[in-house]
Amino acid sequence: MHADAQKDAILQERDAFSGRDLRKIYVTGETEVHALRGVDFDICEGEVLVLLGPSGSGKSTLLNIVGGLDRPTSGTLHYRDTELTALDDRDLTRFRRAHMGFIFQFYNLIPSLTAEENVRLVTDIAVDPMDPADALALVGLAERKHHYPAQLSGGEQQRVAVARAIAKQPGVLLCDEPTGALDSQTGVRVLETLEAANRDLNTTLLIITHNAGIAAMADRVFHFLDGRIARIETNARRIHPSEISW
Amino acid sequence: MKALDLKLVRDLWRMRGQAFAIAIVLAAASATFILSMGVHRSLYETREAYYSENNFGDVFANLTRAPRNVVDRVAALEGVQQAQGSILQYAILDFPDRVEAVRALLQSVDERGRDRINLVTLKTGRMPALDAPGEVVVDNAFAVANDVGPGDEFDAIIYGRKQRLRIVGVGFAPNYVNALAPGDVVPDDTRFGVFWMGEKALEAATDRTEAINALSVKLQRGASEADVIRAIDSILEPYGGTGAYARNDHPSHIFLDSELDQLEAMVTIFPPVFLLVATFLVYVVLGRMIRTQRSLIGLFKAFGYSDAAIAGHYLKFAIAIAILATILGALSGVWMARSLTELYARYYHFPILLFSFAPSVFLGASALAIASASIGAISGVWSAARLTPAVAMSPPPPPVYRAGAVERLGQKAGFTAIGHMIVRHIARWPTRSAMTVGGVALSMGLLFSTLQFIDSSEFMLESYFFRSQQQDISVTFTEARNEDVLYELAQMQGVLRVEPVRGLSVEMSHGNKVERTALEAIPQGAKLSARIDQDGNVIDMPPGGLMLSRQLADQLGVEAGENVYVKMLGGRRTEALLPVGAMVDEFIGNRAYATQSTISVLARDGAPVGAAMLLIDGAKRDEVLTDLKAMPAVLSIGDRDLEMTRFKEMIDDNINTMIFFYIGFASAIAVGVVYNSARILFSERAHELATLRVLGYHRIEVAVVLIGQIALLVVMSVPVGLFIGYWLAQLMLRMFGSDLFRLPFAPSNATYAESAIVVLIAAMLTAVVVARRVMRLDMVRVLKARD
Repeated sequence: MHADAQKDAILQERDAFSGRDLRKIYVTGETEVHALRGVDFDICEGEVLVLLGPSGSGKSTLLNIVGGLDRPTSGTLHYRDTELTALDDRDLTRFRRAHMGFIFQFYNLIPSLTAEENVRLVTDIAVDPMDPADALALVGLAERKHHYPAQLSGGEQQRVAVARAIAKQPGVLLCDEPTGALDSQTGVRVLETLEAANRDLNTTLLIITHNAGIAAMADRVFHFLDGRIARIETNARRIHPSEISW
Repeated sequence: MKALDLKLVRDLWRMRGQAFAIAIVLAAASATFILSMGVHRSLYETREAYYSENNFGDVFANLTRAPRNVVDRVAALEGVQQAQGSILQYAILDFPDRVEAVRALLQSVDERGRDRINLVTLKTGRMPALDAPGEVVVDNAFAVANDVGPGDEFDAIIYGRKQRLRIVGVGFAPNYVNALAPGDVVPDDTRFGVFWMGEKALEAATDRTEAINALSVKLQRGASEADVIRAIDSILEPYGGTGAYARNDHPSHIFLDSELDQLEAMVTIFPPVFLLVATFLVYVVLGRMIRTQRSLIGLFKAFGYSDAAIAGHYLKFAIAIAILATILGALSGVWMARSLTELYARYYHFPILLFSFAPSVFLGASALAIASASIGAISGVWSAARLTPAVAMSPPPPPVYRAGAVERLGQKAGFTAIGHMIVRHIARWPTRSAMTVGGVALSMGLLFSTLQFIDSSEFMLESYFFRSQQQDISVTFTEARNEDVLYELAQMQGVLRVEPVRGLSVEMSHGNKVERTALEAIPQGAKLSARIDQDGNVIDMPPGGLMLSRQLADQLGVEAGENVYVKMLGGRRTEALLPVGAMVDEFIGNRAYATQSTISVLARDGAPVGAAMLLIDGAKRDEVLTDLKAMPAVLSIGDRDLEMTRFKEMIDDNINTMIFFYIGFASAIAVGVVYNSARILFSERAHELATLRVLGYHRIEVAVVLIGQIALLVVMSVPVGLFIGYWLAQLMLRMFGSDLFRLPFAPSNATYAESAIVVLIAAMLTAVVVARRVMRLDMVRVLKARD
């Protein structure tokens, strides 16, 4: 069977996430901020999803909730057969440890650890991790594994962060503005790495971005506005990151 | 309030935990300063006022017997302002319900009130009247300890005759601020007191009509003490003078002086340690605060605030902490000073001894606190003032890490990534890490050097009571006796062995150093009075030479093999140059020993028997004591076990009060240092810790980064702390020792362990308190805020 057809079959078979009426209210002092105002969605395994929308529209809040970093005020969220909204802090940590990979705009590498050690931070506690050196090789940094973050360029640092995220072979990669701090050439490189993880490891990708061009590499695009998913766009064809117009 | 000052107040409030932790350490400095300086001052001023009010003498002399007119001859000497003769006589009091003997030193006072030196201050009652032979004034400590007062009567044996005494007053005198019974090492007010009796009455009771046996002299301003002493000695020579001595050798004065020296030692050791640590803490905390407020500083400067205004702003932060510390320190210092003064009031007989508030002491304490906080602030304040707005507003360059030597070993040993994070952070900030280690180590050292005082005093006790003394009971005679008394003692039921103690009062000199001491004879084959070394072996008496206690040898600056010049005080006043053959480690007193034959060189007819040592049958103890009490020749009876118990009590009393404070002080340092290190560590690493949580590390695993780093630093501080303690303890022992006793350095292993454990517990509890913040870490918020 052709690889794409195989993937289509899986997509139809299984939902990675399903969220129902998710709401999030932040209370700061006397003001209430409604970050999510009732969001419903299903995300399939192996899907590439891009979240677009202006600042404060709720996309980061959703990403945090999906990643088990935060809890909704109300609503339910399932990952495969597990109801995430019912888990306590300990089990949420376990969930992150087992299934989630995170990539942030500012890399969040530990400055006192080398590239390889930053990756080991994850492989030390993961169930079935890759070898840290292999993960770095996948992002093209095999030669720089003994360098500290301060000795790497921004793009290299972000690739270390990608290697750190994929080293545990996670089910889902959550990327919050992964290219926000990078120039276009470096940004493409990082996106290619993410795309490869999706292709080779069948990792579900959720990418938050302000860059509408990136949306073209997704299966679907969620457009956020005022705490709601205003519109869902399905791409007939995913383009390769190298084709993205920046 | 100006906006910048408002910010200061808010910063202080936001950082209240850290500011308070620094304030506690600084407060400990102020408190110990106020405690030791304040008590020193109170004690010193009370003493000086008392001495001058009651006209305490400058030179004193004892003699066998001289006609009263000798006083006029002494008064006529050049440099002498006043001279006063008196009679001193020991008496045995009859308290029928007491097994142990109660003794008194009777001192004559002029019934017509013509005394001018060593005046008695009455607390209650009146002075003895003329023609009322049995009237006495008793010293206050004795009255309190035995619950007696004016109107009470009891029998006394004075000069071998029984006489009824009646208390007419209770008082104090400057020559008995501290009164020790002969043969005792610890004051015991229940068994010994000073009584003042009318001169005529005491003359009659002791067959000394118009005669005296003691002399006190007041010198003219600028008179030469040494010249007067020489002149007095030559006048008193025919009357059995035992050598005049100055106030500095007066037993009561020496006791007080050694206490004052100890307080001075405290001032020189404790406050500096606390000040040093507080300076470190201010340096570290303010430095970190300024680093985090870098962009704010840039903003203020962009607004037009001057460098001086910015510098002043951060300096005020340090000074505010110092002011808080001074208040805390003053409150606790005064409270501690009060309890210490109360303790002193129990041991020293002053009409009034109160802790007096001296503004200068408080000013001194606050000046020290402010100075040390300001010194700590200098580097941070300077860096804040120097920042240019443009540089300040751009983020600081990221810290650069590299793997050090230890680390590479760690890599081989298979450190986890968390292990690397801990070790590299320590190596990245070596100054701060060293300060944390140093601070915790100092607290450990301080605790060790105070806790070991217990070991030291126990070792001293053990040595004094078990090695130096093999007798059960020692008996001091009212005056020197011949051999007959020994036979009499040996005949008593229950007495197993009797050995005489023969001693001479001598003056020893070596180079320009002179010491007055007792030279004791050790008879051949002596068992009870043999000198024993630390391993329990008898030290052989050097034939023809002297054996000196180490204390005396140190005072004279003499080594074994050298010669000392020995002059007999009183009697024949023979002089001889004798070799020092051996040393004996005795911690109490500064005695010298010689063989019987060596002593005969000085005193041709041998030394008189002044005391005896008895080994008794334990089952017949009470009978022996009762029989001894009935012997008119016996002045005092020393019970080794009882005396040891009292000594222990006195030490416990003194040391336990202080130990309680010092455990508090040491913990304050450890808590202050660890709390601040942990808080800074947490604020620096919050972002990394949150990242670890995101990556799937549990809260406990993340807390390990923080606790692990602190634990590693604290563990590193253990050897450093014990090393500091080892030296600090010896310094303190040297400073606390006096002419009266020497403290041995003999810490037990338990003391090493206890000091480490107390500090480790204080440190780790503090780290855990800070680590609880890790538990509350909000991942989303921390990750949103760029460091």
